[in-house]
Amino acid sequence: MKLAPQSIPYRALQKVSGVVVVLIFFASSSDLGVAVSAGIAAAILLVVGGYELAYYRRYEYELTEDTLDISSGVISRREREIPYGRIQNVDVSRSIAQRAIGVAAVDLETAGGSSTEGSIRFVTPAEATRLRREVQRRKSATASGERADDVSGESPAAGPVEEELFAISPRELAMVGALSFDGRLIGLLAFLGSGSFPVLSSYLPGASAAALTVAAVVAVGALFLVSWILGAAVSFSNYYGFRLSRAGDELRYERGLLRRYSGSIPTEKVQTLTISDNPAKRALGYATLSIETAGYAPGQGGDYGSQAAVPIARIDRVYELAREVEPFGSPSFDRPPKRIRWRYVVRYAVMVGVLLGIAYAVNWYVAIDLPWYAPAALLLAVPAAAHLKWKHRGYWLGEDHLLTRNGFWNRSVKAVPYYRIQNVIDSRTVFQRRWNVATIVADTAGTNSLVGSDAAAVDFDVAEAVKLRKELNDRLQTALAEQRDRRTMFEWFEDDVDGDVSATEGRDDRTEQSVIADAETGRDRIGTDPVDEGGADVDGADVDGADGDGAEKGGNENSTGGDVDQPEDGVVRPDFLPSDRDYSEPAERIDTGEYAVDRNPSDADVAHRSDDRHQEPDPPGDGDGEGTAERTDEERTDEM
Amino acid sequence: MTTQRLHPRVRAVWVLRAVVAALVLSAPVAVAFYFGYLPRWAPAVAGVGFLLIGVGHAILRYRRWSYEIREDALYLDRGVITQVRTTVPLVRIQHVDSRRGPIERGAGLASCVVYTAGSRGADVRIPGLTPTGASDLREELKRLAIRADGEDAV
Repeated sequence: MKLAPQSIPYRALQKVSGVVVVLIFFASSSDLGVAVSAGIAAAILLVVGGYELAYYRRYEYELTEDTLDISSGVISRREREIPYGRIQNVDVSRSIAQRAIGVAAVDLETAGGSSTEGSIRFVTPAEATRLRREVQRRKSATASGERADDVSGESPAAGPVEEELFAISPRELAMVGALSFDGRLIGLLAFLGSGSFPVLSSYLPGASAAALTVAAVVAVGALFLVSWILGAAVSFSNYYGFRLSRAGDELRYERGLLRRYSGSIPTEKVQTLTISDNPAKRALGYATLSIETAGYAPGQGGDYGSQAAVPIARIDRVYELAREVEPFGSPSFDRPPKRIRWRYVVRYAVMVGVLLGIAYAVNWYVAIDLPWYAPAALLLAVPAAAHLKWKHRGYWLGEDHLLTRNGFWNRSVKAVPYYRIQNVIDSRTVFQRRWNVATIVADTAGTNSLVGSDAAAVDFDVAEAVKLRKELNDRLQTALAEQRDRRTMFEWFEDDVDGDVSATEGRDDRTEQSVIADAETGRDRIGTDPVDEGGADVDGADVDGADGDGAEKGGNENSTGGDVDQPEDGVVRPDFLPSDRDYSEPAERIDTGEYAVDRNPSDADVAHRSDDRHQEPDPPGDGDGEGTAERTDEERTDEM
Repeated sequence: MTTQRLHPRVRAVWVLRAVVAALVLSAPVAVAFYFGYLPRWAPAVAGVGFLLIGVGHAILRYRRWSYEIREDALYLDRGVITQVRTTVPLVRIQHVDSRRGPIERGAGLASCVVYTAGSRGADVRIPGLTPTGASDLREELKRLAIRADGEDAV
């Protein structure tokens, strides 16, 4: 497929516009004639136009059976294949100019890489929509193991039914504008202002302290007003016409007044949900929801990363929406120990002290009688602030999610599915050690965590923190095991459809048995000693479950046979002996008749059984599955 | 696997680094002395001060550092001022590097870097390993990661 032809002049103009501005500047300031500069501009335009034409001619994308292929590049060629299963989200955006000439930009994000992986610069809007739909359809087709070709017989337009989850009302839009406040301008002006303050004061030698204070108050007020108007305008145009809907297993959003954004997020790729509010929103009963995936890369900043944020909605509505995406139940947060409030008191008191010091220094430097001791009044607010900080912290362990809560001015509740945890970090600063507390961070691959806003349980008692850390690790392993079981079960159903019925009968209940036993051990484990029995235990059971599968199919991906030597306690421990395989040689292939099998299956140190299976295939009714159930049963009694 | 310590020679690498840092940090003081803003003893005091802090930090850091491969996770315990304990589930390992910087090569050491898809703990470095130890650890982690079999590590 090709890009839209309109994209050639648009891209050329986009690139040249900056150069032209510089040229005009030069032409007006130097003695270069208008004709000459116009000539130069035309020449540049011609060159860039030629380049863009070549770019257009050499850019091609194609939706194949299981990858999206993009080949591009004029001078250095690049061919890229993105598997559908790895695509995190698809975003389409159209600025005013792009809408006028009828093009749209499509961005496909995967978790890897440092920038947008598939950036298709300018196709027609209809094509953009088609791309998005096709990617989703083919993705769900690959996920369910069907061939994309099989489904393509149906009409491509017929996707899953779209069900609207949220549409912003004018009232809410007005509220978004009113409540958003762009603090960046204040920061910038304060930074500039602090530099010019001594200069200003030298201009106003006769001004009294009172007049100065009034001027400062007015200036600050104006600053706030301007920031507020700016923030309101920006968020109004960002969230104009916001709409979130659900279609099958993906979320779709649409928003924007000047620049129109739309896109899709697969629900299975959601890393973290964040529900944030501030005192104003809390008082009015509103909150914000943002959905994070692993797609956006660092440095893409700005609007990215929270594209699908529901800007504002009633709190109950926000929770309802969040549960729609990740059913986390109703949380009840555990707070840090009460004594930790003293820590915050000390911290804030020190901060007030520093502020006093600065005020005193400024007063001394400017040599005008300013009321430098005024910040001392803040000391009165310290206990309340400490209490509020403590009150808004907390964490909660749900069935499948960790929820954390932090912050008073900008409170955020984060819900992380255990299955999404990447690693667990327990950190204790010098000060935290004095209070015998620790912070536990559950790191995910989400984007916002890059700016340091991971889900964190802050300032919990060390003993509790250590328990939480282990618990999180355990629950991750349990979630992984469950996910694995789900997949095994899935393969089974798949098999039953086309396999012969007589052979399937026997093994069917066998797997079911082992799967159930497996799930039970998983659940049991939560209460008991965390690390020791861990994943290897589940692994052991899992291996057996998969074994029946592999044996019948004639051995394929799961060569992890039952002949892994299991010690008495049934716990398969990782083997730390290095394998003696020479990696400079390709792996030996064995022809099993159906297809070739690597002699070193995935190099995991597990016995492969491709050849002995050939000689003596496991009879379907042997005691293999029962053995599993027995073993796990024994184990459970042991644990009890 | 029991808790592993780093190779004692890593202290030499860290101390060397502390010396370099002390030199760099006390350079402005030396310049100030050269232009006559500070008395003669200032650069020496600053240098010795920075050096003591750096060396102390290096030694404490070595004492704190330990790592352990457990059944389903890699566990690291480190940090002097802020103590950090990281649990990296083996399923989440994306790839593993063993690397040797110039100073490490000089000391006959190597390190091993474990990458996950996470953001804050995206790459975890285990310094102070012998070259063979580092490549063994790399192979071992690779094997365990494959064995742990994360279908979708993100």
